[in-house]
Amino acid sequence: MEKKLPIICPSCNSDLKVKSLHCEQCDTTISGQFELPILLRLDTKEQDFILDFVKSSGSLKIMASKLNLSYPTVRNMLDDLISNIEKLKSHD
Amino acid sequence: MIKKLINPYKYLAGLKSLILGIAIILATSIIGYFSNTQFPDIISVKTCPDFSISYFILQGLLNWFILSTMFYIASMIISKSKVRPIDIYGTQALARFPYLLASCIGFSSALNDFSKYLQWTLLKQGEPIEISSIQIVIAILILVFSLILTIWMITLMFNAFKVSANLKGNRLVFSFIIVMILSIVLTGYLNQNLTLKLQ
Repeated sequence: MEKKLPIICPSCNSDLKVKSLHCEQCDTTISGQFELPILLRLDTKEQDFILDFVKSSGSLKIMASKLNLSYPTVRNMLDDLISNIEKLKSHD
Repeated sequence: MIKKLINPYKYLAGLKSLILGIAIILATSIIGYFSNTQFPDIISVKTCPDFSISYFILQGLLNWFILSTMFYIASMIISKSKVRPIDIYGTQALARFPYLLASCIGFSSALNDFSKYLQWTLLKQGEPIEISSIQIVIAILILVFSLILTIWMITLMFNAFKVSANLKGNRLVFSFIIVMILSIVLTGYLNQNLTLKLQ
């Protein structure tokens, strides 16, 4: 089962932060308080969209034909993603 | 299936929808020519006397072109996205599909006879006419059918504008209503002039 990275606190709905990072190789644990990068704060669908977009060399036309959607639909998805990223940036 | 019928633009837009839409407009005009059904503005459907085929084709193209141009101007003013004209013109052409079915309305004389009957019985205008109850039922069914087609076409136009211009909420609703009203007035006026010139 693929685990989903939780980004929102289930108790109070605030953004979660990284408290520790662990190396499985040498068993080192680094503790601190780190912000999640913006890309990881997007939902899975949006992250998949970005991956597909990069794999399509940034061509919305190729994306549209791969996803079997129309060009304006894919462009609207990208515009919504941009506005979501801008919101997250301004939130920081 | 119903989603695809009211919003095919999620999957189809651009050049494909433009070619398909223009073919629909031309087919509607040809059927309208044979059934004596005209579209004197972007949403009206009326039976008419014999006009030339060029009248029906010009009317179909004019209604589509004026509405699409108005939507394109509106999207350039209010949309934050890069709107492609081919999406606006293509999706609006495809939105005319329900009126391909509406162009068959004139093949039945029931609606025309019913309107003459109402004119005579209620307004005492025209010539006296007797119609059977079956003809009345057929005329009412045709009226309901054309109303459904009109609602379907307006829904398609709304979704076409929504997808092509990437608009949401109040901006979308208000701009759509304004463009529709302006286009009805403008196409009504231009079609009236077209009728006078080609008659």
